[in-house]
Amino acid sequence: MSKTHTSGVSSRTQQDLPTLSKEICLRLLSDLERAKRPILYATKCSLDNAVYNHKVGYLTPGEKKVATELNVSSVKKMSRAIFLLEVLLRNVDTGGVNTKRELYYIAKGEVKHNSRLKPLDFEDQIESDDSIDFICEMLECYREDLNCFANDRGGQTYSQQLIVTETLPDGEKAVVELGKLGTSPFQPKNRPQKFKLSSKKPIDFCLIVESEGTANTLVANGFTKRNSCILLGAQGVPSNAVRAWCKTIQDQLQVPMYFFGDLDAYTLQNIFRTLKAGSAASLIRNQDYSAPDVKFLGVLPEDIAKYDLPDYAVKESDAQEVRALKKASDALKNDPFFQDKRNKGLAQIMNWLLKNKRRCEQQSFFSVNPKDPQMPEKIIMEKIRKQIFV
Amino acid sequence: MSSKITTSSTAEYFSKNLQQVGFSSHVKAVLTTLKEAVDNALDACEEQRILPEIEIWIQKLGPGSLKNTDRVKIRVLDNGPGIDSDDVPKVFGEYLASSKFGRGRCSRGQQGIGISAATTWAQLTSATGARVITKTKTMRKALKCTVEVDIKNNKGVIKDRETIDWDRTSGTSVEFEIDGRLQLNGEAGLLTYLNGTALVNPHLTLHYNLPDEKRTTIVRVSDVIPEIPEAVEPHPHTMKLGEFIAHSHLYGRIKAEAWLKKGFSRVNEGTIKDLKKAGIKSQVLDKNVDALNEVEFKDLYLKIQGIPLMAPATKSVLSIGEEALAKSIKRLGEVDFFSVLSRKPTICDFKPVQVEVAIARLFDKANESDSPIQIIRFANRVPLQFDKSACAIVSAIETVNWRAYGLTQPKESVPQGPYILAVSVVSPFIKFKNASKETIDASEELVEEIRRALIQAGQKLAKHIRREDKANDLEEKIRHIEQFGPILVEGLIRITKSSQARKKAAEEGLMKLLGREARDAEAELKEADKALKPLV
Repeated sequence: MSKTHTSGVSSRTQQDLPTLSKEICLRLLSDLERAKRPILYATKCSLDNAVYNHKVGYLTPGEKKVATELNVSSVKKMSRAIFLLEVLLRNVDTGGVNTKRELYYIAKGEVKHNSRLKPLDFEDQIESDDSIDFICEMLECYREDLNCFANDRGGQTYSQQLIVTETLPDGEKAVVELGKLGTSPFQPKNRPQKFKLSSKKPIDFCLIVESEGTANTLVANGFTKRNSCILLGAQGVPSNAVRAWCKTIQDQLQVPMYFFGDLDAYTLQNIFRTLKAGSAASLIRNQDYSAPDVKFLGVLPEDIAKYDLPDYAVKESDAQEVRALKKASDALKNDPFFQDKRNKGLAQIMNWLLKNKRRCEQQSFFSVNPKDPQMPEKIIMEKIRKQIFV
Repeated sequence: MSSKITTSSTAEYFSKNLQQVGFSSHVKAVLTTLKEAVDNALDACEEQRILPEIEIWIQKLGPGSLKNTDRVKIRVLDNGPGIDSDDVPKVFGEYLASSKFGRGRCSRGQQGIGISAATTWAQLTSATGARVITKTKTMRKALKCTVEVDIKNNKGVIKDRETIDWDRTSGTSVEFEIDGRLQLNGEAGLLTYLNGTALVNPHLTLHYNLPDEKRTTIVRVSDVIPEIPEAVEPHPHTMKLGEFIAHSHLYGRIKAEAWLKKGFSRVNEGTIKDLKKAGIKSQVLDKNVDALNEVEFKDLYLKIQGIPLMAPATKSVLSIGEEALAKSIKRLGEVDFFSVLSRKPTICDFKPVQVEVAIARLFDKANESDSPIQIIRFANRVPLQFDKSACAIVSAIETVNWRAYGLTQPKESVPQGPYILAVSVVSPFIKFKNASKETIDASEELVEEIRRALIQAGQKLAKHIRREDKANDLEEKIRHIEQFGPILVEGLIRITKSSQARKKAAEEGLMKLLGREARDAEAELKEADKALKPLV
């Protein structure tokens, strides 16, 4: 990990935020006292400012910054941001949490009780969301750091060995033994980075399955009984909670991580790349929201022939599939992750997809021996054993 | 014998085909009747150099004889020269008995069909003709009578004739009772017609009395009676063969060479020489026109089409003028701002034509931002209110990119907003699509000429809109500073837990900072004002 990336934004802790906010506000204030125009700089979060270094393992921000200058046009935006910052800092101080929707109503309530604030009133949630995003850019933090949580989906986790210890805001500790939950999963929420993980017995690997349904089937068929592992369902593009959860498992348990999903451009680029290296939109927080060790277990192009899997052509009429292919071809040209030679194997799969315009779903493993419900598990375990992954 | 057959068939033809001359619906019947009476009044006043003052009464008398109609009384009174007793039956009761037919002048009426058609409609629907009172300066008493059309013989017939005392030196009052339906608003509405007529006739004082409404007066804004230019002879390149032959009939026994030189504009000695060079024999040119046979006419016609002639003169077109239009447009209501433009007379399709445009934004319609602008079309100063989609004026409006001038405009459509756009096309030879004169034929050259006028008017208008944008910008900036400045500083003070002294200093600093921008906006506004000054 290079110094540039470990220092700066991503090493910022929640405890720093009130101090940092105060610093920024003081700077604004003293600029104003001198009738000097304050300028706020934020990291540019887009692919053209993304850097990938395989030693770091995830996408990090380049040098580009976005400057916001205080002027007549931005004074409203800044006033709203400072107003909401106060609300968020109050939450950080008291340990309160809110969703963006709740914050929208809290802001409306504040305006209702103080007529002087009337000009700030948000007409729609999209306006207060924009203000929250602007605060995060300004502080170069993520909203979870300001106790603004999304109702994260996905990440339902099964294991016979895993024990999760969570320190609650009141200091009490909650200990969850996943092996005692039966077929019910454990689902990480809010800030999984804060969890402490341990295991009853050594854990051999962690398997992340793209489809939550398939993850559930594997567990119901005894996957976690037969294997000392953690199995979780990603439910499509991984949410912040899923990404942070995978990162926590990787860092704290240091077990091999595998991803099992569809063979198509969307899965590879949007789901797997985000899980492994983060996204361009979240450049400043990929450190805590990516698991660089995760490997792509399949479906691999060679699996189609090897297991005689039913695959099918990308529908030219399906706008979403065509768009995914177009995006994949752009990614090969512009995305530093796919351009890195260490990820050549993944780039080759993308090229194969673009060339053959075919796709194959993870559930196709169920076609190999329809009478054997454990067949998909057998294939997965064979792949892990023989190290057939990218 | 033959002439008798011709005239009787004219009146019969029109009485059976009134839909062709503006009586195709009950709404149109009212509007056309009013329009014909007003056109005649205005033409007569202008002819005799009288500043027109017209009063209109429209009343509902009860249900009409036709389904879904009212019995409507329309009366138009003018201060014109009056009509000689002998001419009264011809004017109101005889088709094609006009003094204006084919004269090549920019008068409103052209053929002498309209008012006789109104009389016929009244006769057909209420069994009474036109009730007329008229007095010329030389008459001691006024003539009061009813004129009816003798449809079989195309003759006006006078009934109930009497002479009465009338408290005016001259003038005409004509009254019709017809079946029709009243529509006041909208593009085909009476008010649109009345306002439009006022707009393009700045020298007109108009009083009108509509059902359930108070008497309204629109006072003249100009004492200048438009100079009606002298008629010009037709240009040979604008005629079809049939028209060419028919034109000769107006000249009786006259040598062909003299007919060509006298009966057409831009035909001179040089043209005659060119005709001879082109193969027209001298003996043909020496023949009397009434002795020319069809082959000779055709030869003459074709040869003259091949000879390059000067374009017709533009001196025959009548202009309203930017100044008068500017004054007149303010009569339409409270106007925010406006732009007027008179193009120089030019030649389109070998016919002299002048296009004038007035655009105004109405103050009291400021909320109607997403409906199409109101378009008022004029041909020879008469509002055109029907069948607008096929009209040259609307075609031209749709081709202009109004967005460039600050108006909203759906693609290839008329712009939107609380605007009135008046386009006047004046020409001694306007080509209409139909006899009821509702739509100007959209030839490429004419559409382009109208388009140019619209673009120039749009450019002028844009200056007003830009100025308004600057003013809004300034207002917005000042409002922003006043509203958000204190809130921003207060928030900063609370988060940093700073003193009241710092609050005051920061507020002052912020005001200085943002005030600079407001001053810049103010300077831009002044600049925009300067640009506008020559237009106001």
